[in-house]
Amino acid sequence: MDTQKPTPVIQPWTKEFWKATQQGKLLVQHCKDCNSKIFFPKKVCPECWSENLNWIESTGKAKVYTYTEMIDMVEPKFMADLPYIIAMVDLDEGIRMTTRIVNCKSEDVAIGMDVEVVFQEISPECSLPVFQPTDISLRIKTTDPKETETKVPEFETRLQPENYQAIQYEIGGKNNVVCFITLNRPDKYNAINRRMAAELIDAFRRVREIPAVGVVVLTGAGKAFCTGGDLEIFPSLAGHQNSLNWLSHEGLDVQRAITSCEKVVICKINGHCLAGGLEIALACDLLYAGESAKMGTTEINMGILPGWGGTARLPRSMPIFRAREIIFSGRKDYTAREMYDMGLLTRVFKDDEFEFQFEKVVNNIASKKPIALRMGKEIMARSVDGCDIETALAVERNGIQWLTYSPDIQSVMDQFRASPDQLTQQQKQQNIRSDAKK
Amino acid sequence: MGKKNLAIIGVGEVPTGTYPDRSQWDIIYETSIQAVRDAGIHKNDVEGVIAVAPQAQPQLTAEISFGKIPEELGLKGCKDVCICNAGGASTSNCLRLAEQMIESNQAKIVLIPHVTVHSTIPIPDLINFFAKAGIDLQWEYPYGTTYNGIIAMMTRRYMHESGTTEEEMASVVVSLRKWAALDPNSIFYGKEVPTIEKVLSSSMVSSPLHKRECNVLADGGAALVVTSAEYAKQMKCPAACKLGESSRYFSAFTTTRSTERVKEGFRDATDEALADAGVSKEEIDIWNVYLAYPVGHPMFMETIGLCKPGQAGKMFMEGHTWPGGRMPWATIGDAIGRGHTGSGVSMATYVETARQLMGKAGARQVKDAEYVFQNTSGGSGMNFIATVWGRNR
Repeated sequence: MDTQKPTPVIQPWTKEFWKATQQGKLLVQHCKDCNSKIFFPKKVCPECWSENLNWIESTGKAKVYTYTEMIDMVEPKFMADLPYIIAMVDLDEGIRMTTRIVNCKSEDVAIGMDVEVVFQEISPECSLPVFQPTDISLRIKTTDPKETETKVPEFETRLQPENYQAIQYEIGGKNNVVCFITLNRPDKYNAINRRMAAELIDAFRRVREIPAVGVVVLTGAGKAFCTGGDLEIFPSLAGHQNSLNWLSHEGLDVQRAITSCEKVVICKINGHCLAGGLEIALACDLLYAGESAKMGTTEINMGILPGWGGTARLPRSMPIFRAREIIFSGRKDYTAREMYDMGLLTRVFKDDEFEFQFEKVVNNIASKKPIALRMGKEIMARSVDGCDIETALAVERNGIQWLTYSPDIQSVMDQFRASPDQLTQQQKQQNIRSDAKK
Repeated sequence: MGKKNLAIIGVGEVPTGTYPDRSQWDIIYETSIQAVRDAGIHKNDVEGVIAVAPQAQPQLTAEISFGKIPEELGLKGCKDVCICNAGGASTSNCLRLAEQMIESNQAKIVLIPHVTVHSTIPIPDLINFFAKAGIDLQWEYPYGTTYNGIIAMMTRRYMHESGTTEEEMASVVVSLRKWAALDPNSIFYGKEVPTIEKVLSSSMVSSPLHKRECNVLADGGAALVVTSAEYAKQMKCPAACKLGESSRYFSAFTTTRSTERVKEGFRDATDEALADAGVSKEEIDIWNVYLAYPVGHPMFMETIGLCKPGQAGKMFMEGHTWPGGRMPWATIGDAIGRGHTGSGVSMATYVETARQLMGKAGARQVKDAEYVFQNTSGGSGMNFIATVWGRNR
């Protein structure tokens, strides 16, 4: 079902109105000939049919004419907002608008209440003018950037898998050696909010403490993998400090939690994987996608760029001339197959085979020794980071030497020391067996 | 007497309900045949077909627009066919077109059918249609408004201005449901009438509107057979004759509609329709009001001066509008009592007006009903069409 929020259907003569909303201005159409204020804006003045129309900037002050709290029976695309307040407000300029009342408890809204305009960005082209109480004491949260900048979301209780709200965390698979971390906001296409970021950081650090687990599977609940940052956090990014923190605290910490979790993180791209969602995927070690998954980075459409590692990891993950196209085009309809052909993904499976094939891959890798997977992840990470070949070879050599003398390999080695033939014999038989399988 | 020359001489109707297994054409057959037989005419006497456009059913609309009804029913005498859409005001406009066809000697008898089968429309289409109908896609829809939402805002404002209480608003539902319980064609026929407490205890949908103050989507269909008042007189059959009419347009959207203009329109159109008919307010036996949600009823009642300002809620609460009351009001219970059948409730209201004046209204029959006032309204309340009807004499 369609959960994409509708944007205003703009007419040629209302473009200016919506453009102004991006600069936080509320415009009122005005007829220069008969001096009428016009709403909804028209192509010609509805009073005198003059085409001599202009815009005046509203003070943004209004009074509530009537309102309703929407509680039930709305379209699926608005369900996540419930309950919300729709109102008609009378602007000081003498026009009446339908809008939402925000930052106010429903029991505090009243007919005649003084409100002022604020803007909610809903698309790259426009922001919706909504209204909040003029009286600061009636506001739920302040939108004064000075005050919000210091406001960091705090989660009442210590994060635990039991109280995760935005993700699921589960140890399972054959012999309980796989950790499944599932982005779990399916009604929001698993969009990332602060809660999800905090829980991801917690989960990836938590799994480090379980030595038996060698593999983490990261996927999304429902039809999408992840469509990036939730629009709900956007208003808070108006503050410079807030915005920087979202990139450097939540953003960087999520990436680091994944890249430094010391397990092989296998990303199962089960559906749309866009913007911040793709960036999270890029931090993983292996990327498997179902054929119908669509991918891309959309940040440039809003005039910015991927900020959770996208510009750093895409060019390091595929040929640069292709990575640039992904970032510059802002396309969100790259198919998984296209991405694979461009050199990004590990493998793409047909949708109806995806589950089965993916499980096979996971089971195989999960059957390897966690300690070797961990060392492999680290060695390769250092190697591709662009050190010179001699350093890379030294890291490899010493890493493998370390592995060879690690306690659990040594216990296996003991029997070979006792009978040196056994190793070659055993290997030979394994080779015969695996050849016969083919 | 007015200058109108139109009479409803036959009605046909299927009970409002849920008929996913029944095709729309099955219902068109049943209601049209019933109406033709009720009129006591032969099918080939029907010379024109003017259908009410079914909402949210594009395939059916296309079929009807392109003339399928006369062919399907074998109306060999049919000279022309068309479809008419003005939302909930469609039937009123079908009647106007029929009147014009008859007046200009294009047809002597016209069939006006309607059908809506909501239950077979895919849910996303249905949600989509009703979320956007009468709601502006630029200035209202992006905020998450719904039909219930805009009516809820109207209701809150009305309660604020008139001092009408929550209980009084709920009593409008009680009154409408009392009539519906007596109507074999209502989804609530024979069902227990909720008390005020029960209406208010139903869950809140969009404050201050409770679930029982909102409409239930349902399937239904009806048909009218109409002719000139003169011919009806010659036929000496029971009939409802249009005596007066007037209308006002307000606005397409609730945001841009001023309550003052609506009230003025209610008053002027009603006065003009009554004057056209040469009938006074006091002579009206039934106020057959169609305004889809509770709020319009008390607002209309006090606006046209049937009670003192702010007292309309009490009129419903005290039972004056109930069956047996002194001011029989919306005798099929409007959309609240009938079930919402697209543009069908206004059609059903005309059927009821005709039944009352023909003496065929069963348990709802208002004794010796001489004059019925009936209105319709389309879209989100874009207009108000007032009509006055009388018996065949």
